[in-house]
Amino acid sequence: MILFSDVSKRYDKKPVLNSISLIIKKGELLFITGPSGAGKTTMLKLIYCSERPDSGHITVSDWEVSKLGQSEIPELRRNIGIIFQDFKLLTNRTVFDNVALALSIHGMNQGKIRHYVNEALEEVKLLDKASLYPQFLSGGEQQRVVIARAMVSKPVVLLADEPTGDLDVENAKTIMELFSKINGKGTTVLIATHDENLFRNSGHRVVHINDHYIEKEYVG
Amino acid sequence: MKKNKSAPKGMYIEILRYSFKAACKSIGHDKWINFLTILSVSIGLTILCAFVLINANMNSALQKWAQSFGVVVYLSEDISRDAEGALEEHFLKDNDIEEVNYISKDQAAEEIKKTLGQHAVILDVFNESPLPSSFELKLRSKFLDPARVREKAAQMQKLEGVQEVQYGEKWLSSLSTIAKTLKICSIVFGTAIFIAVTFITYSTIKIFLHRRRDEIETLKLLGASRSFIRLPFLIEGLFIGTLGGALSSLGILASYSFIMYKMVEFLPAMKFIMSSLPSSIYVVVPFGGAVMSLLGSFIAIGKIRY
Repeated sequence: MILFSDVSKRYDKKPVLNSISLIIKKGELLFITGPSGAGKTTMLKLIYCSERPDSGHITVSDWEVSKLGQSEIPELRRNIGIIFQDFKLLTNRTVFDNVALALSIHGMNQGKIRHYVNEALEEVKLLDKASLYPQFLSGGEQQRVVIARAMVSKPVVLLADEPTGDLDVENAKTIMELFSKINGKGTTVLIATHDENLFRNSGHRVVHINDHYIEKEYVG
Repeated sequence: MKKNKSAPKGMYIEILRYSFKAACKSIGHDKWINFLTILSVSIGLTILCAFVLINANMNSALQKWAQSFGVVVYLSEDISRDAEGALEEHFLKDNDIEEVNYISKDQAAEEIKKTLGQHAVILDVFNESPLPSSFELKLRSKFLDPARVREKAAQMQKLEGVQEVQYGEKWLSSLSTIAKTLKICSIVFGTAIFIAVTFITYSTIKIFLHRRRDEIETLKLLGASRSFIRLPFLIEGLFIGTLGGALSSLGILASYSFIMYKMVEFLPAMKFIMSSLPSSIYVVVPFGGAVMSLLGSFIAIGKIRY
């Protein structure tokens, strides 16, 4: 469960989020939507502690995220899969090594890493491109590598920031299918997007942020 | 989501293995910058070692010269045999004195005659030796401090039957000044090289950190611990320092052997003055290089904030 309790955040005295309260149930797939600058990315950053709230509390499972010390943040992040808007793939490592990095951080042995990485790449249908470098892949393929890296350590929460931003309709559909599949296995998935096509008729809850407040909640 | 407080078995070994692999990859990738850093560290340590060796040899020479340092205690004309015996007993009991030699009036006359050679006839006008009897005292080298010797001489001067105490005060002062200057130079020079070697590694690791800043950022976002991020850089720094130190000790061995050979060929007496290269240098120099570089790397990485 992820809980936002009266959370506010400002950047240079300019409010980004104002008194946000939200409960995301375990195993839920939730969309956060709203115009650019509404605070969608900030909400995700607050969850993985890249930003700290000015007031209010954020809880992720039994973690009081807003009170975490610097030394506790890595452990929280190791339990969250993050899909970044700009991918954050390392161009000096192969697809396999990029995905394996998430497990090396956990201190997993080479045999297990090989097994889990192959499994994740198989899932995103990129096993045949494991030895390539990310810059030689298309945008959609790069996004699938990022998904493989985020899900390989089997996190309980998956955060995706504009996951289909630069992708065509076909690739966006593939990515959404992957998210549904991951969610189907019990992972809580949180997707920040401004693309209405992603959540229209999805049957999942949509939280619309506007003017720094939660304007409305509905089922897409 | 559950907190996983207990580390799985073998986790640290795997992280260490990953760090070694990452460090080796970086060493291979940035081989030229690493090579130049190793060379710079090596040159710095070689200069330091050369200075330490020059210092050690000069100290050894000073110690050898100091061994010949003596205090001469001239006795009064009217001193009795018993008083002379008592004085000898007093000097023998003194822990600062290593050796006591009694020179009688006749022995002193013989010595001066030998020194004067054919002019010794001028002494024939005297019925008995005009020179006083004396004690030649050799002080322990660790007590060869000008102030202490001055104090000792003043104490001796007050003893009954002592007419005059003589010692090479100026010579001893010069010797002491040279030793003190060498000591200060060693500290200043050693500190300067320590800072230089640390700074060389610091700069190199800082360049690597700057080059890999995106990678570090990604690692932080994926949940890498501080030690996971730091370790490859520390291993790289350790490698640079140790290899720089090892190269330096080999360079010192080669140049010292060459200089020793040439100097002994030119001045055979140098063989007895120059001390041999201590074998500990093969451990101390690489270890010193490793410590300095490790410190430089640690400072370069600085505080990792999430």
